[in-house]
Amino acid sequence: MNTVFDVIQRDETKGYRIPKMFFVQLKKASHQLYLFLSHSALAISMLSVCISSASAEEASPVTLSGFGTLGLARSSSDDVEFIRDLSQPKGVSNGEWSGLIDTILGVQANWKIQPELEVVGQLVSRYRYNDNRDPRLDWAFIKWVPDNRLSLRLGRIGSDIMMRADSRMVGYSYLTVRPNVDFFGPLIFSSIDGVDGSLTLEAGKGLVRSKMFAGTIQEKVSGSFGTWDTTGSYIYGGLIDYFVDQWQFRISIGSTRYSRDIDTLQTRQLTGGLYAAADVTGISDARDAADGLSMKGANSYYYSLGVSYDKGPLQVHAAVNKIMTETDAYQNSQAAYLLAGYRIREVTPYLGISRWASTSRNLTTGLPDTLVTPYGSADFSELNQGYQTFLDATGANQTTYTLGARWDIFSEIALKLQWDSIHGSEDSKTPYAGAQAGIGWAGRTDVISTTLDFTF
Amino acid sequence: MIINKIRLLSCSTLLAILLVCSPALAEPALNDLVLIANADSGIEHLTKREVINIYLGRYRRLDTGSTAEPIDLSSKTDTKALFYRLLVDKNLAEINAYWSRLVFSGKTRPPQQVDNVDKVLEIVGNNRNALGYINRAAVNSQVIIVFEWSGT
Repeated sequence: MNTVFDVIQRDETKGYRIPKMFFVQLKKASHQLYLFLSHSALAISMLSVCISSASAEEASPVTLSGFGTLGLARSSSDDVEFIRDLSQPKGVSNGEWSGLIDTILGVQANWKIQPELEVVGQLVSRYRYNDNRDPRLDWAFIKWVPDNRLSLRLGRIGSDIMMRADSRMVGYSYLTVRPNVDFFGPLIFSSIDGVDGSLTLEAGKGLVRSKMFAGTIQEKVSGSFGTWDTTGSYIYGGLIDYFVDQWQFRISIGSTRYSRDIDTLQTRQLTGGLYAAADVTGISDARDAADGLSMKGANSYYYSLGVSYDKGPLQVHAAVNKIMTETDAYQNSQAAYLLAGYRIREVTPYLGISRWASTSRNLTTGLPDTLVTPYGSADFSELNQGYQTFLDATGANQTTYTLGARWDIFSEIALKLQWDSIHGSEDSKTPYAGAQAGIGWAGRTDVISTTLDFTF
Repeated sequence: MIINKIRLLSCSTLLAILLVCSPALAEPALNDLVLIANADSGIEHLTKREVINIYLGRYRRLDTGSTAEPIDLSSKTDTKALFYRLLVDKNLAEINAYWSRLVFSGKTRPPQQVDNVDKVLEIVGNNRNALGYINRAAVNSQVIIVFEWSGT
């Protein structure tokens, strides 16, 4: 069987120019996958024993499967680092190829205890908030199907808050190299510890599936302010799907109530400075500004509509979302994407467009940059600047044009190549790492990505 | 002259062998592929929409109230590719991608996969909820045809 190295080198002999760095990074990404496999070897061996013993039966109650992506990407801008989602502290920049953001490996074990009872566990290694790829248990739940229309799950389950949000780590399952960043980038959680239930009923010519979920989230978010630990935050919501022939429609709504503040050195200095300034000057707006940055007890609301048309070689997906947060620390945002692909034999070229925009609250601390009193003057310009920088860090204002192709080279292996041309404004900061440091950032970058996606 | 005749004969033989071994000829013709159920299942007929819902894991409740248990043939067979091409006009890579989305989000399981038609007949013949697709010529007394393309 050919490997990715064979494929690329064969292309090279045909005259394609592939930079040396591409191969260096590909090797690095492979090494990272190898390390993860080594870490997981014991668990896999133990599961294999279970499977081997079960294989003697007619149909094995235990199955082990997996998915992965070996990805390389480069972003033309040297002002900011392009990231896959807000969980990643570093990204790709400066035109250098990197396997950092898209390389993923996951293994899953399913144990069917009875026809209506199943246990599922999924371990995933990917680049996360803490700048490493330590495997994490993304799914660990027991599923009970008391009736063939009803399904209940308890444990660590996938967050289905937007259409296809719970399969966004499985690159092989979709056309593009990664889930649309403008649409899925703001989603800071991938799983919840809790319960969900879904009911599917026939409705006319189609099917209606309703689903409710509730629990807590255990994610950590990486931002310019440092790491925000959302562990213990409540989440609940619901969705309705309608399937009819080649169409799927989805409406979903969800809410999170955060359990913790963004407790980093930067936020402590900022809020401490505002409270002190309010005490000294008697300007209560400064106190309100500090209070407004608190995340603890604040709610975020997620609204989403999605539609998918999938007939023969043609598939079209579109969705819109709106995310509103009851705190000044995050700007409210809305996003939309449209993606269309058409399969020609084993290759599916695709085109897409997406938009992510946030709304600034235009807040101030109420403090003048310089306050002159009979006893002297006070300089608040640095504090005001720090406050504005903090608020601006969650701003998004960009449109992305996507062109790419998926080539199903072997059974369960797909090679993808994609170009994203991002046209934004200089205040589009949140989709990137290091955007605050990027003084020269004008909102424009081109991202070239290639992935090898597989399942096993 | 003799050498040319030998060459011609060799080419003809090779062509004949290739034609006989061709997957295109080995796979069932469109109106030969049928969906079968157990003869005692209580199922008389399924619509194409119902077959799609069952095989794509969207909804597997039968009119009898039981849960349908679809059987897939191995991807090594041409019949599986033909089945999905006729059913939803998708190739096997697309079907694999579809199932990877559902399996790795913990939603549902794909149909049980078996290696050959004999195994399909054995399972469907012994399980009232099982469904399978086979060549019409292989249908036996233990199973009935519940869906066929020629009738849609």
